[in-house]
Amino acid sequence: MMSHAKKAAIFNKDEARTDWHDASLWMVRKKRDFAVTEIPEWEFLREFASDIKSHTLSKLDEYLESFEKAATQNGAIVHWATDAKEHNDIVLSILNKHHAKKMVKSKSMLTEECHLNDFLDAHKIEVIDSDLGERIIQLLDEPPSHIVLPAIHLKKEEIGELFHKELHTEKGATDPQYLTEAARHHLREKFHTAQVALTGVNFGIAETGEVVVCTNEGNADMGVHLTPVQIHSMGIEKLIPRRSDLAVFTRLLARSATGQPITVFTSHHRKPKIEGEMHIILVDNGRTTQLGKPDFRNSLKCIRCGACMNTCPIYRRSGGHSYESTIPGPIGSILTPGIDLKKYGNLPFASTLCGSCTDVCPVKIDIHDQLYKWRQIVSEAGLPEGGNKTLMGMLGSGLAAPRFFHRLGNLGRKILRLFPGNEKFLSFTIWTRERNLPKAPVESFRDWYAKQAKNE
Amino acid sequence: MSSKASILSKIKANKPNPWPLPDVPVFQTSAPDKKKLFIQILERGGSKVGYVDHITKVVDVVASFFPDRLRTLSTLPYLEDTEKITSLEPKFYEGTDVAIVEGVLGVAENGAIWITEKEMGGIRVLPFITQHLVMVVSEKSLVGTMHEAYKSIGSPNTDFGVFIAGPSKTADIEQSLVIGAQGARSLLVILTP
Repeated sequence: MMSHAKKAAIFNKDEARTDWHDASLWMVRKKRDFAVTEIPEWEFLREFASDIKSHTLSKLDEYLESFEKAATQNGAIVHWATDAKEHNDIVLSILNKHHAKKMVKSKSMLTEECHLNDFLDAHKIEVIDSDLGERIIQLLDEPPSHIVLPAIHLKKEEIGELFHKELHTEKGATDPQYLTEAARHHLREKFHTAQVALTGVNFGIAETGEVVVCTNEGNADMGVHLTPVQIHSMGIEKLIPRRSDLAVFTRLLARSATGQPITVFTSHHRKPKIEGEMHIILVDNGRTTQLGKPDFRNSLKCIRCGACMNTCPIYRRSGGHSYESTIPGPIGSILTPGIDLKKYGNLPFASTLCGSCTDVCPVKIDIHDQLYKWRQIVSEAGLPEGGNKTLMGMLGSGLAAPRFFHRLGNLGRKILRLFPGNEKFLSFTIWTRERNLPKAPVESFRDWYAKQAKNE
Repeated sequence: MSSKASILSKIKANKPNPWPLPDVPVFQTSAPDKKKLFIQILERGGSKVGYVDHITKVVDVVASFFPDRLRTLSTLPYLEDTEKITSLEPKFYEGTDVAIVEGVLGVAENGAIWITEKEMGGIRVLPFITQHLVMVVSEKSLVGTMHEAYKSIGSPNTDFGVFIAGPSKTADIEQSLVIGAQGARSLLVILTP
């Protein structure tokens, strides 16, 4: 697999498109900033959210059992899955039990993580992603490039072309209103003919056993309420203790994600519908391992708002696909190395460590600190992204020897004066490839200081 | 070992030290006029707002907003000249032009309106499947924030409940806002005294 840096370099070849991508996401970040100013107690809410999650993680086993008990009393069927395979097998067994061949699915990063669509496809089950952005990328056979805005990397012309081919819209049509209307009709038919609906879960309430799903399009509800069987796939870290805690999280989530004061629909699913079946699948898939890592367990607080992506200068200018992980951007870069260090070890380096991700995170995850800590682990593991040890060693001895360093400085300044402007000859190092070095000063501070001392 | 037992035992082995559950205060809005804020936020989110001095006049407001409607359905007992819930089959309600339901409570800070299965006449899909949604909300029910909302709602055993804060919408194509994605194309909120 190609590293993030290499993929990002390819992404950046189309400069206009990179600028456009950057600007689109920056606009979302600005909307978030405005929405945040409307709540004077914003910083307190972040603190409360972080503490509620810390508390829940410290008693996760007890809360999961309370949740299961309450959900079972509500009439839901609760399943436990240790990994992606078990999760997918459970979904398939539910589908088979009902002889279902068609399932509508609303946005769920967990099912992306489990590669559920490919699995069901292999078992001849038709899966229809019902969120517009998800449907677009599903028809293109691409993974989402953002967790909240899955098709943010695509231009309306490309979507128009795709819809012309798949949904028979007019050739050359690019008006978002027209294309959305076409998708509405296409998806309504799917909602009516599917036998099972699956959703992700934003919050599971231990006290009541209900699951809460937040959407803007209403697609999750159309699916769940029109089909006899509903399945909710939920990562075990999605739990919160009390229903009243939702006040904190619903105030934080949409403002952080898109700058809306709340998502259009915040659905509380408690009991199955009359003659219907409600399944909740609790999924581990590496989360309990992450829980055991004191430096990284805070990443489990994530509520998947995507604010860290929208603000990240690297994400905005490299695109979600450059990360090659289900969850891209800063949060993905601290979640995935724990799953596969060799494969994702390069991701903690896709950051300037500017800390903006940490500043906007609604649950106060120390994202940039964790990125830094992952870098130490990657370097110790001897992976190539850990940096050039020989070069670093040479630099270290150079810096530790003042006289040698002084002579090296003089030499460097001379060389820089010989090659003013863009020092192409330095492009063998990654740092100087895209940067101009500063104009070389006439003398070093040390020389200047020595002169001053003499003059006195 | 079952998957449940294995997950729980791994959590027991790996979980952090106890951390207290914070007592979250019921934050209130600093806005002096809740009703004004509620209307402002609703309109900002693409909803329309109407007013009546008596609930019996709801139909007149609906008629003025949707003169061309064909199929109008209502779960409110006092709106006599509208279609009522006659089937428990959710698909039966495809093709509803306007559905009129009562909202339990409105939240000023985000324009969200709480509604449960009861107000939907037992048809959970109704507020989503209808082309246009009308929610009748009493001014007396307005609260400032989500904290007040959850305090007021409490935790009764509602089978299904949802906060609705506007018409269904999407910005998935180049971040252009389109009102009317998979759910209702418009939301009209009618405020009653």
